[in-house]
Parts: sequence; structure tokens; C-alpha cells
Amino acid sequence: MTDTYRIPIIARGRIIEPGEDAVEYKGRGGATFLTPDPHKHIHDLVLGNPVLLGDLQQTPIRDIIDFLAEAGKRLRFEDNPYLQESFALALRAGGLAEPILRGVYDDLPLMFDPVSMFAQIDGTIGADYLDGWVPSPAGPHCRVRAVGTRQLHITAGNVPVVAALTIVRGALTKSDVLIKSPSNDPLTANAIMRTMLELDASHPVCKHVAVAYWKGGDEYMDSQIVRTTRIDKITAWGGMSSVKHIQKFLTPGIDLTALNPKFSVSVIGKEALESDAAMDEAARGIATISGFYNQTACVNSRLVYVECKTDDASLDRLAELGRKVVAEYQNLPPILSTPADKPNKDLEAEMEAVALEDDFYTVEGDTVNGGVVISRFPDRVDFYDQLNNRVVNIVPVADLLDVVKWCDDTTQTVGVYPESLRDRLLDPFALAGVQRLVSLKGHNAMDIYKSIHTMPPGMPHDGIEPLRRNVRWVIDHRPIEETALSIAAE
Amino acid sequence: MTEAVLDKSGLSPENPGRWLDGGYERLLAMSWRDCLDVQLRIIRCRFEELVPQVAALDKLAKREGITKIDSFEDALPLFFDHRVYKSYPLSLIETRDFPKLTGWLNRLTTHDLTTMDLSGLTMIDDWISRLDDFGMFIGHSTGTTGKLSFIPRSKTELHAFRNCHNEASRASSGVDPTKEFIETFFPSYRYGHQMALKMVSTFNIPAAGGEAHYHTLYQGRLSADFMSLAGRMQSAEDRGELQKLGLDPALLKAREEMIAQARRRDQDVAAFFDTLFEEFRGQRVKIGGTFGDLITTARNGIAKGIKPEFAAGSFIATGGGMKGLKDPPPDWENFVKDFFGIETVSMVYGMSEGCGFAPRCRNGQFHTMPHTVPFLFDRDMKLLPREGQQTGRYAFFDLQAETYWGGFISGDQVTIDWDEQCGCGWKGPTVGPVITRFAEMEGGDDKISCAGTAQAYNDFMDFVSQG
Repeated sequence: MTDTYRIPIIARGRIIEPGEDAVEYKGRGGATFLTPDPHKHIHDLVLGNPVLLGDLQQTPIRDIIDFLAEAGKRLRFEDNPYLQESFALALRAGGLAEPILRGVYDDLPLMFDPVSMFAQIDGTIGADYLDGWVPSPAGPHCRVRAVGTRQLHITAGNVPVVAALTIVRGALTKSDVLIKSPSNDPLTANAIMRTMLELDASHPVCKHVAVAYWKGGDEYMDSQIVRTTRIDKITAWGGMSSVKHIQKFLTPGIDLTALNPKFSVSVIGKEALESDAAMDEAARGIATISGFYNQTACVNSRLVYVECKTDDASLDRLAELGRKVVAEYQNLPPILSTPADKPNKDLEAEMEAVALEDDFYTVEGDTVNGGVVISRFPDRVDFYDQLNNRVVNIVPVADLLDVVKWCDDTTQTVGVYPESLRDRLLDPFALAGVQRLVSLKGHNAMDIYKSIHTMPPGMPHDGIEPLRRNVRWVIDHRPIEETALSIAAE
Repeated sequence: MTEAVLDKSGLSPENPGRWLDGGYERLLAMSWRDCLDVQLRIIRCRFEELVPQVAALDKLAKREGITKIDSFEDALPLFFDHRVYKSYPLSLIETRDFPKLTGWLNRLTTHDLTTMDLSGLTMIDDWISRLDDFGMFIGHSTGTTGKLSFIPRSKTELHAFRNCHNEASRASSGVDPTKEFIETFFPSYRYGHQMALKMVSTFNIPAAGGEAHYHTLYQGRLSADFMSLAGRMQSAEDRGELQKLGLDPALLKAREEMIAQARRRDQDVAAFFDTLFEEFRGQRVKIGGTFGDLITTARNGIAKGIKPEFAAGSFIATGGGMKGLKDPPPDWENFVKDFFGIETVSMVYGMSEGCGFAPRCRNGQFHTMPHTVPFLFDRDMKLLPREGQQTGRYAFFDLQAETYWGGFISGDQVTIDWDEQCGCGWKGPTVGPVITRFAEMEGGDDKISCAGTAQAYNDFMDFVSQG
């Protein structure tokens, strides 16, 4: 297939279609992208004068939320041709199977829920701080305001929610946002913005979002954009190479939030091996946290540490747990997880190689239907960073506290079963770098998924608070004696 | 043995390890198509002999449901991926669990290693030396990903291996290393169990005419312990826990030396070549090194106004790529020849996992000899037709491997011309000069994902493994 997708630049309320100066990029999955030459549209992409953010700053947060909520209503997949086009492309370019991707798109409107958006901004920054100057606890002579910034977002494309998340977060922080789309999801941000432009292209939110695709590592683009005169904050998702590349252009005055790739694990207590009922529940939990979105997300477990001895009888029980996990993959609802459409050859080769080693490893399943590699000694496989396609490595450990030695700042989410483990592990894990503990308890995969997936609004992300980081906290410090008069006059 | 086999190729199916005894000329005069029967016959025999003795092969054969080999296609699913030679848990190296490590290796060879004395071992290098004393000839990889492969070769293959090395070298350089001894310069370690290094020192010291005529950049050995533990040692040091690893003090000391050595490498290489240029001016020499070493040396030499002069019959024996050199001259080979004033650049294509080497002919093609049976796979691991010109992933069966399984799938992407129309006078399937790493990647390279963390390459490891 050599379809050509036209990807216009979204430039602060305007749509710039690829015209005579269009350039072509080879995308993933055989598609070709046609887009206006980004080199010729630098000024459409950046906001050189930060004072121009005044319009958004003067828009009350409630109005912004109303606008976003109204846009959210139009992000229904069935009625939105932009999303349909973006879906078709993401399906080919990304790594998600159709029913899962459809589920993600169907959930997009939820991200624009007004109650949740208000809770998110009020719980982190505080709506008052965005709408005005808030007196300090010491008195009104010293006031603080959260001021919007000019942000570059190099977004991840493995799950298209990142595009929606970025637009919502940008608007909620009253900031100017430039989104560099990823090749594995080049159209979702574009589609959301085109929907908003149809709603009201003159709304200040629309006036402060630009979306474009250019090739990662394009030095000219980065040298033009990443300047203190044009950008205040960068949020870079993705691999070390993308972050390291951007770092070349960083100077004091530009803050980098590196949402670098994360790796997640689960820890399972010995109880899971003691009864069939507990083993069933643990297997379902492991299959769910490892298998949803077909293990493309950072929250998916790839390693499963189980409190287990290494005698043959114990390892046989462990292997049984492994077989149950593979069986549970097959029972996951298609909206959560599906067999892979093709095998992962590298991983398959790793699995086949260790499968020859009976003394050290037991292998069940494959990279199409999902699988497990069970270590027969207390260490993870050496190819743990390639685990994918719903394949996990199950590792016996004598004491689950030993797991901290494998945890660091890349360890995002830890699934826990049973709950009785949690209190013992929580603090050491938090110190070791783990960012979130979730529960694998439950009898229904959809319920387990929802409990993992649904957090209260405004929770930290990967151990940081991106919303608070992406505004500037400005102080208005007046002479105490003049304060009363001045505030009264305002 | 049917008479037909001997009629066609004249090659004995009994002992392919001796095919080169009469010289390479006979083998490179044969069309590969005439060798198919004898090759298949040997693969079939090897399979029957090795399955009961090599546990890993037995397991793979059972998994693939293969009980006998009637065609090349039958054997292909049994070719070992490079991962098979490093499928041991890395923690065995970290904890220096020699019984388990030996047990792992034992599943790959017909030699019974279970009776080997493992007492007193604290280092991987010493373990390999002990294995060698026991009859093995183990070589490990360079471990650029931090984990070493161990190739379970043994002394049984040594005769064939030596012949392959010497004859391929003679074919591509015109110099017989068993008859004409030449002062040899090799800008690397003198010893080590890393396969290429081990081969070079084992075969090149006699070819140089003895230790005194073999000159290396470093006089020590490249340490397997260090290469496999460099990453682990670095992260332990970051945590302030280097002492807790319980490593042999000799290894910690070796690490300090390697760090110092690596920092000095550029000066050391320059001094090494300066000595060569001055002290051996006018003599006949053989110069080794990677393309990168030679280019850098030529550039430095030109900058300093050095003009080497060596006697006629000198030659350069190179390989191993650019090693991180990012801006090689477009015609680097002539650039190097011009600087060194040496006309002959000898090159062979081979890899640690096979005994055989394909010498480069005057047309720049590498000609495989009948003891190596080459195959090409496409991205889906389907066999590409053995005809015309094909580009794919290189795999081969090494008929000379008697004590371990000779089927291997490499990580190289090469172009093979099967038509034997090279014009140089040699036959055999030819591998073209462009050899790249086979990569699965396709499409845009800026796919960004929040998931998974590729194991960070250890800068330090890169730093010290340039040798």
C-alpha cells in the first residue's frame, strides 16, 4: 500500500494545507505523509512574542473548560470524519489492534469531561492561580499567579490519548502549545484540533495550538524552535535518542520534562501458589495488566516477580501459574487485548534460544498469542527489555523486597497481588524509584483494567506533576503599606 | 558413499576438515552446484551423529519435529540463531558459577565436560583456558551488547580452522603463511579468548616467524571477564557497591589498567605505527587492523608528513569495519594503499561461528568454499532462491564442525551472486563487498513510545572494546 495522507499544519487557528511547497515523508506501515514544508513555516509554528498569550490568560478557566467540553462532545468517532481518518492511519502506523484502538478513540470524549478537567486543574495548580493573583498566606502584599508558557511537546504515538492529553493540558495551563506529531500517530492531534477549529477557530484556545509533523532529529527544525525567545518548556516523550537529541539545543531558560520510556512490573505473593482459586485470580490479574493495549503501554507489566522457592515442586507450581497466564490472555475481551497480527521475530528468537535451556528456563506460549518465560532461578532474563507481544518473564524470588534492586526511575507501575503485600513494599519501592502501585485483585478483567486505568483527576504522572511544572509561578511583591490601597483600586 | 558423489566433486564426505589440505585452488575451481550431494550427505550424517550427543540440538529437533534430513530445507529450521551461543543467564557470569556455566556449554558440544576439574577457578578467562586444556578451543564474541557468546569449538576442528585461515589468507594476499614468514603488526591485544583475537594470535605468530616477529599494540590479553562484567561493574561502582560484587582483585586491577589504556589509545596507536614506520622502514611487513585504524593512521601520518616505505611483498590484512569512524574517505582502500605505499590489501569474509573464510578476489568478491554451505533468508526467514543475485540474511552450515552443530544464522545482511560469473577465475557463491547488519526496522525512525526501556548502552564498554 502506498497511500498518501495529507497532513496539514495547524497554525494557531489556521489550517495550512500541503500546497506546492509540500514535502513527502515515508511513514510507517507503508503510508506516505504529505505536509507543508515545516522549514518554511517556522513562524506559523512558534509564538515569538509571549505577551500574545494575553488573550488566553484573560479567558477564565471556566470558559476554557466549557470550550473543551463542547469540543469533546464532537469527538465521537462515528460522527467525526477527522478522527476516522486519523484512526485509519494510526491503525496502520501504530502498534494497536483495531478493537483496542477503537476503544481508545471511543474513550477520547471522556478526557474532555468538564468535571474531571476542573478537578484536574484545581487540584494541581488551583483555578484561582490561573485566573488571577492569589495572596500568599503571609498577606496580600505578596501574591502569586500561575502564568501560561510556550511549550513544545514531542509526543508519543503508541497510544493516541497522548495527543488529547497534551491539548487538554496545554489549554488548562493557559499555555501556547506546539505539538510535534510522532510517525506512529501523525494525525490524532491534528484531528482533534480541526474539530475545535470548526467549533470556533477564533477561541483563544485555538489561537494557541500548533500541530505539525516533521522528522525526528531534524536539526534545522530544532535549532529554529528550541530557543529561549520562542519556547519556555519542552515535554519530550519517548526514547533516549529523542531526549538526547533535544538536549543538544537546551539552554538555561528552557525546562525539559523528559517523560522517558518506562518499564513496569508486578509482584505476586506466595499466596498465589497456595490455592487454585488464588492462582486463578493472580493469573487473571497478571494477564490483564500485561496484556491490555497488547502490552504497548508503559504501564503494562513485563516482569512478574513471584515469592517462590526454587525447588522443583515450587517451580512446577510457578510453571502452572505461567500456563494460566497464557490461558487468561486468550480470555481477555478484544477491546482490551488481542493476539498479535504477526510474531515478533527478535523476541521469538530469544524465547526459542532459552527454551533449549531446560535447567534455567521454561517457556510457554509465543509472541502471537502471548507467552511467559519462567526463570528457574532468581533473576530476570537478559532480554527483559525486549519483552513485548504479551510475553512476560516470571521470576521466582525468595523475598519480594529483593525486587527493589531491579527498580529505578524507569519503573513506572507495580501491580500487586495479594493486597496484603502492599504495606510492606510501598515505602521501599517508592524510595527505589517506583512511581505507582496498583492492584491486580478481582475476578473480571474489565474491572481489573478499570481499576488500574482510572485514577482521580490531577494525579502525578511518572512521579512528577507536569501541569505545575509547565506554568511559570510569578510573584507580585508589593510594599506592605501600599498593598491595601492598590488591591482595592483593582 | 555412492560413487556419484565422488565422481562429481571428488570431495570425500568422510572428512571435510581435510578438503583444504591440498590448497584452496582445487576448491575454488569447483562449481558449488557439483558439491551439493556431498554437502547434503555430510549435513545428514552430522545431524544423525550430533542429535544424541548435543542436547540443545536434540531439543530443537524435537521441537521442530525433525527426525532426519533429506534436503537442505529440512536442516534450515535447525540452524542456531546467534542467541543460542549466549543463552546462559548472565548472572552465572556475575556469580562465576562455573559448574552451571560448564553445564550450559556441555549441552552444545559432543565433548563430555562434566568430568572437567573446575576447582580453583575465579575468572572466566581461566575457565576458558581450562576448557582449552581439556580439548576445547573456545572463542567468545566481542559482546558489544554486554553479553558474550561462547562458540563451542574444540581441538578437533583446529586443523580445519588453521587450514581455512591460512589458505584464505594465501588466496587473498598471495603469500603462503606456512612458508613465507613476515614481520606482523597488529594494533590490538596480543592474546585473548575473543575468537578473532585468539585465531590471529594462534595462527599469526607462527606466520610471523615466532613471538619476536609479532608486534601488538598491547602485550596483555583482552579479558573476557572484563568485557562481560564492564557494564555490571560500572553500575555497581555508581551505587558505591563495586567491592560487594566479590570480584577477583586481579579483575579490579585489570579494570583500572583498561581504563587508563583506553584513555591513551589514540596516542598508543600513533606511537605503535611510528615505530613500525621508522624501525621497519624498507622491510617486508604485514599490517593488520580495522579499516578505521588504518584510515586514522593514514590521516595522522599525512598530517605529520610521514611517508612509510616498505619492501615489495608487504601487505595489509584488514577487516572489522570502520569501528565508529564516521567520515571515511569515499575510496578508503586506495587512500590507505597510497599512504602505506602497499599495493596488496587482503581481506576475507567469515565469522566466529564458522571455521571457513571466503577470500576476497581481485574483483572485490568474497568466494565461499565448499566446506561452507551458504544460504540467504528474507525478512520472514524464508529461504531465498539459490540463483542469480540475492540480498538477505546470511546463514551457513559449516561442514567442518564435527563436535558442535554447524548450522548458524548470522546477523549479517549480504548480497550473494550464485551464478559464478565473477571473472576472476574462482568459482563458488560470492558474497559482495557491502556487508551490513541485518535490521528488522522499517519505515519512519521517529516512532515514539512511552513503553519499554532499551538497555542503555554502556559508554564505557564502547570505550574499551574498540580494540
